[in-house]
Amino acid sequence: MLSLVRRLTGLVPVLVAATLVVFLFLRLLPGDPARLIAGSEASAADVAALRADMGLDRPIWQQYGSFLMRAVQGDFGLSLRTRRPVVEEVRARLSSSLLLATAAAGWAVVAGVALGAWTVAHRGGRIDLAGRLVAVAGVAMPSFWLGLLLIDVFAVRLGWLPTGGGGSFSHLVLPAIALGTAMAATLARVTRAAMIEVLGEDFVRTARAKGLGEPIVLWRHVLRVALAPVVTLAGVQFGSLLGGAVVVETVFAWPGLGRLLAESVAMRDYPVIQAILLVYVLCFALVNLCVDLAYGMIDPKVRTS
Amino acid sequence: MRSLVAMIVAGLVLLWQPPVRAAGNVVIGVADTLTGFDVHTISDTLSQSAARMMLQGLFGFDSDLKPVPVLAESYEANSEATEFTFYLRKGVRFHDGTPFNAEAVRINFERLVNPENRLSRASLLSMARSFTVVDEFTLRISLKTPFAALINTLAHPGTMIHSPAALARHGRDVMRHPVGTGPFRFAEWQADRLKVVRNEHYWKPGLPKVDSITLRSVPENGSRLAMLLAGEAHAIAPLPPEQVSVAEANPAIDVVRRPSIVTWYMAMNTRKAPFNDVRVRQALNLAVDKQAYRQVVWNGFAAPLTAPVPPGLPMHAEQQPWPYDPERARALLGQAGYPNGFSVELMGAGNTLARRAMQFLQQQLAAVGVQVRITPLDAGMIAERIWRVADPAAATIELFYAGWSASTGDPDWQLRPLFFGPSAPPALNNVAYYSNPAVDAAIMAGLSTIDPQRRAEAYRVAQEIIWTEAPWVFLGVETLLAGKAKSVAGLHYLPDRSLSLDEVELK
Repeated sequence: MLSLVRRLTGLVPVLVAATLVVFLFLRLLPGDPARLIAGSEASAADVAALRADMGLDRPIWQQYGSFLMRAVQGDFGLSLRTRRPVVEEVRARLSSSLLLATAAAGWAVVAGVALGAWTVAHRGGRIDLAGRLVAVAGVAMPSFWLGLLLIDVFAVRLGWLPTGGGGSFSHLVLPAIALGTAMAATLARVTRAAMIEVLGEDFVRTARAKGLGEPIVLWRHVLRVALAPVVTLAGVQFGSLLGGAVVVETVFAWPGLGRLLAESVAMRDYPVIQAILLVYVLCFALVNLCVDLAYGMIDPKVRTS
Repeated sequence: MRSLVAMIVAGLVLLWQPPVRAAGNVVIGVADTLTGFDVHTISDTLSQSAARMMLQGLFGFDSDLKPVPVLAESYEANSEATEFTFYLRKGVRFHDGTPFNAEAVRINFERLVNPENRLSRASLLSMARSFTVVDEFTLRISLKTPFAALINTLAHPGTMIHSPAALARHGRDVMRHPVGTGPFRFAEWQADRLKVVRNEHYWKPGLPKVDSITLRSVPENGSRLAMLLAGEAHAIAPLPPEQVSVAEANPAIDVVRRPSIVTWYMAMNTRKAPFNDVRVRQALNLAVDKQAYRQVVWNGFAAPLTAPVPPGLPMHAEQQPWPYDPERARALLGQAGYPNGFSVELMGAGNTLARRAMQFLQQQLAAVGVQVRITPLDAGMIAERIWRVADPAAATIELFYAGWSASTGDPDWQLRPLFFGPSAPPALNNVAYYSNPAVDAAIMAGLSTIDPQRRAEAYRVAQEIIWTEAPWVFLGVETLLAGKAKSVAGLHYLPDRSLSLDEVELK
């Protein structure tokens, strides 16, 4: 418990350092947000007025100081582009990104493990070959292509599901499949490899010697043991699903964090970019922490003090 | 395992919500994301179009971008274009129930021009000296300098009128609490959509004809078309040129083709060698096949640009076209001292259409010995290279591919930002750093009288000189494309790319 508290307080300097790096690097990026947001029709005076309004005419250390002071209180300022509180903008997008990433990971685990186990059950045969081909195709297919294909078939031709946008469960299905398929394919291959390795273990021979049927051996005994590396991999990939969904979010017009980040970078919307990058830093730090703690539970040797 | 699968399937079936389209609720797919509705500060065409459903100005535009009275009924002006009196519409109320009157207009305009408010559309009315309430429905505007384009400026979305009560209550937050006099009231604005609903007390009889309008941001071109094909959207705008044939193949869909005032050009930095020599600039105009440009870049969905002011704007003075004549181009380059051509950088945006255009220009100019290096950049980098430069002599721009539309619908807003000497960056958009005292004088003369004939004459002179001196390669005028279901009527795509949705109806 004490060590957990210590680990959590250890995050604070990491986050502060991250704010500094993010803040300075953003200001090094060429492009003036005031000019971009005022548009090409604006006069020099209009742009200067907007720059002053955004507080960008102050010295950079002063900007950083006031940013940090307010960030500590959970206030990340206003979006330069929409003048809405950054916290509001990011909160709405973060929850839809989490929803999409969770759904995609869920689909990936179910489909990946099922496909992997199925190929093992029919190893050496045609089904095995077909399953492995599907897995390779799933890894190789770019998500935007798969996304457009899914839209064309299920939304335009069949009319079963909406083409995009957020709002209801039916909006979630296609983007989750498009986003999770590459991960599903990876998991299928890992599951297959792990199960084949486990098949050589003594306890499998024992189970068979007891007279258990092959399906029970495979699905009950082998799969359960083989799942450990699969779960680890799924956990690691979840982070990249959260951060790397820009393409899928764009194709499906999903109002997620990745798209907001891309749009904000295009307009140099500093406060929004800062907040999103901090969310990502925090997520990765927390995931690392969880992984470490999980190892501690699995392997007593890792437990400290 | 089997029961688990069955449960999941059952769950999916129960949660099923097939796409629904309720009657009278119009959905329109757009490419960009809305940025807000404080018209005195927003600058993107989409947000301005969205705001126009809710807010109105003294004037507005008809579907050809001609100014028409909206909240003003009529006006008078002195002949020097320095004093304007407006007679306002009576009996109009804002969505919050407060009355519209001259005082409301004064409050809005004074808010817009007050430097303390730091509103980025302030320069629209920066020539105003005072706004005087004459009586409840009469307002007088006095100007510091003559400004004949005032009526067009008052039709621009940047001068639309917020409810003064909303301004007092929300301050800068009118950005997301727009309250106006328009046919639709604000309902909700989320990350990817805006919904507006019918204003039951709208002053114009018979409007609006639908219960609500939703604008949905769908950035990916293919997905936006899919939305229309699947019947989830009643209309989409824009429609990329390469999708026209796909959309047309569907019997339920109409492709809207709209001649526009969106002018595409390649500016040449007239202060720098080799473009400080007019013969070089003329040679480049001769070296580019404009018909091929329209075909290759726009799939034919573009019209010839026949003067610095495009044909869709008033006071356009048609010029003799620059023919495609690579032989003469080479000869001119030789006379200018570049018999073997030269090497130069062409900068432009990074999107597909701009890249295609720049590659086309590169090939065309290579044929006359001009070696072009293409530099596609994002908007931020372009802004840095153009508007960070305070001293024209220090500008590194050589060739710049870009487009412009005069959103006031007046030729002044074409000529002054783009060809007026003092409009060189960082002031405005004269990226060619073009400066000719005769042109500057003609542009000022065009602003200093309200007599349309004298204005047209001044602008004719300016256009003639600019055309001959060729600070640009004059490329073409985009044809706007949108897709809509056949059941939709009353949707207007204006020549400056804005959407007018007041009269939308479903049949």
